Amino acid sequence: MYLRELSEIPGVSGDEDKVRDFIREKIESKLDDVVVDRMGNLIGIKKGRKSERKLLMLAHMDEVGLMVTKINDDGTLSFAPVGGVDPRVLPGKRVKVGEDKLGVIGYKAIHLQKSDEVKKPPSYENLRIYLGFSSKKEAEKEVEIGSYVSFLTKYSEENGKATGKAFDDRGGCSILMDVIDLNERYDFDVYFAFVVQEEVGLRGSAILMEQLHPDVALVLETTTAGDNPEIPEYQWATHLGDGPVITFAHRGYVANKRVFQILIETAVRNGIPFQMKRRTAGGTDAGRLARRGRGVPAGVVSIPARYIHSPLSVMDLMDYKNTFKLIKKVLEEGKIMEEVSG
Amino acid sequence: MKELIKKLTETFGPSGREDEIRNVILEEIKDHVDGYKVDKVGNILAWKGQGEKKILLDAHMDEIGVVVTNIDENGFLRIEPVGGVSPYTIFKKRIKFEKTAGVVGMEGETTDEIEKNLSKLSFDKLYVDIGAKNREEAEKIVPIGSFGVYDSYFMEVGGRYVSKAMDDRIGCAVIIEVLERVKSPNVTIFASFSVQEEVGLVGASVVAYDVMPDEAIAVDVTDSADTPKAIKRHPMVLGKGPALKVMDKASISDRNILERLINTAEKRGIPYQMEVLIFGGTNAAVLQRTRYGIPSATVSIPTRYLHTPSEMVEPSDIDGTVELLVAYLEGG
Repeated sequence: MYLRELSEIPGVSGDEDKVRDFIREKIESKLDDVVVDRMGNLIGIKKGRKSERKLLMLAHMDEVGLMVTKINDDGTLSFAPVGGVDPRVLPGKRVKVGEDKLGVIGYKAIHLQKSDEVKKPPSYENLRIYLGFSSKKEAEKEVEIGSYVSFLTKYSEENGKATGKAFDDRGGCSILMDVIDLNERYDFDVYFAFVVQEEVGLRGSAILMEQLHPDVALVLETTTAGDNPEIPEYQWATHLGDGPVITFAHRGYVANKRVFQILIETAVRNGIPFQMKRRTAGGTDAGRLARRGRGVPAGVVSIPARYIHSPLSVMDLMDYKNTFKLIKKVLEEGKIMEEVSG
Repeated sequence: MKELIKKLTETFGPSGREDEIRNVILEEIKDHVDGYKVDKVGNILAWKGQGEKKILLDAHMDEIGVVVTNIDENGFLRIEPVGGVSPYTIFKKRIKFEKTAGVVGMEGETTDEIEKNLSKLSFDKLYVDIGAKNREEAEKIVPIGSFGVYDSYFMEVGGRYVSKAMDDRIGCAVIIEVLERVKSPNVTIFASFSVQEEVGLVGASVVAYDVMPDEAIAVDVTDSADTPKAIKRHPMVLGKGPALKVMDKASISDRNILERLINTAEKRGIPYQMEVLIFGGTNAAVLQRTRYGIPSATVSIPTRYLHTPSEMVEPSDIDGTVELLVAYLEGG
């Protein structure tokens, strides 16, 4: 499991180099070929014994974050979200700006806010990053407009739960790396794609189909739990501890029926706990893959995590283990390649 | 044609669950085409004729529906829409699942809450009652992830046809009829019956990849604004023939195809109407953008009460659409 290392590497959409370098170094010796395409997607290839059909397994390397939009006269930085970041999770958080500058996201102190101000969520217009500079001139020497800003959360484990940033989708990346570590050769080719810029609109995956033309695709995601106590159980998206999440439909795509069924059958046959993704909001790269090139039957398996798209998410490590187990079995049994037409 | 429309509209087939409707369509076309295949995502692609020029006709075979997202301990289901289903439309209606049917009800513990829920209705406030006594019983019949559609049947009123899923089984019916009727096409006809249009034009995004036809025509439904206080800016009405789409929210029809369609209609004396739709889109939007591009247009059948269990069409518009397309394929 590489979740600890992957989680702590900064890699906001469009700035995935460090994540890619880390993954590449770990996987290179175990695969037949590793390439980086024009957009920066890392693609590892494990040839099959028969090599007639191709399975694409995909996880995205990027995480949500921020970008500096303006250096203000007082040396503070204005910024914009990269991907979906709720401004309410930002005030008071430590961030890294550019390569190595540490900063704090500031907001008007509660002492200075009027009573109705406290009730209003902060907006990006009135949030700033403070780096300790006292003027624009000073700040300009150290940061640039367009500098990436990432969260600075350390990974930790407690009571079987992991906390850290960027589990969405370093969790999926880590599972793919674990699969590569098995060093198994299957009947079919397996393409492991670690893609860029998912969080800003499924962009990296948009160029995969033309390059690879896979027969079946499986997307490994980390998805929202939504099992908060104030939400009735019948409105939860997923629940921590209930096992890997299987998607039947999400925004813009209904998962391929046979792939969906094989995932369930595999879990049942092997006694692996699993749950359905019980909300259809949000999309994944599966929707993009199905629409490009000649199309592909695609499915989605996710690890549930609480508070994703914030500086800190929580994952149940049993869910991670069971997700890995499920994927391992799906590959070993090979039904996904035998029984999905196309 | 009427029997065909009845059969197609009554067949189950929400986006992503097109198996049944695909089999029905394959059965209908197999004797009238030179060949066909089902592609990786489940689209049917059929072909007929030997001409050099390749023209693709597309209709989507999926219909809007719902999917079960949760089941509570008392056996009530929670659902979310698959495609453009309004909570107002589905409230108090029946839903058909593969193995059972259910009634859609709404939460509300006080009269105030009922009023509030009604004025801002969302799927979170709705549930489906399939008569189950508890969760276990419900799960056996409709496990989470089961798909459903409006429980509706075909009927004829005042000479007009009413059913669920006219969108776009009526397009499917038109293309099936065209394939049967066209005897000496000047072109090679490709016909696609595509999947998952209602959730985001999925099937048509990839259906033309290998064929790369010289042009593509989507056959789909459009709004009919001839009811009391209907959308003022829409000119389309029932009974004035096929609607030749100039533009909607997702695409602008290829000028050249449009003009040749108009010329064909004029020459053959087929009534037609022009269409500009201020919302919505068709598969033409993604066919147009396939690989290096396919000049694309849409021919529409005006339809009242779209995305409801009772979509209404006028038979003469359907006949006119078939006639126009056959004439177009036979060279104008």
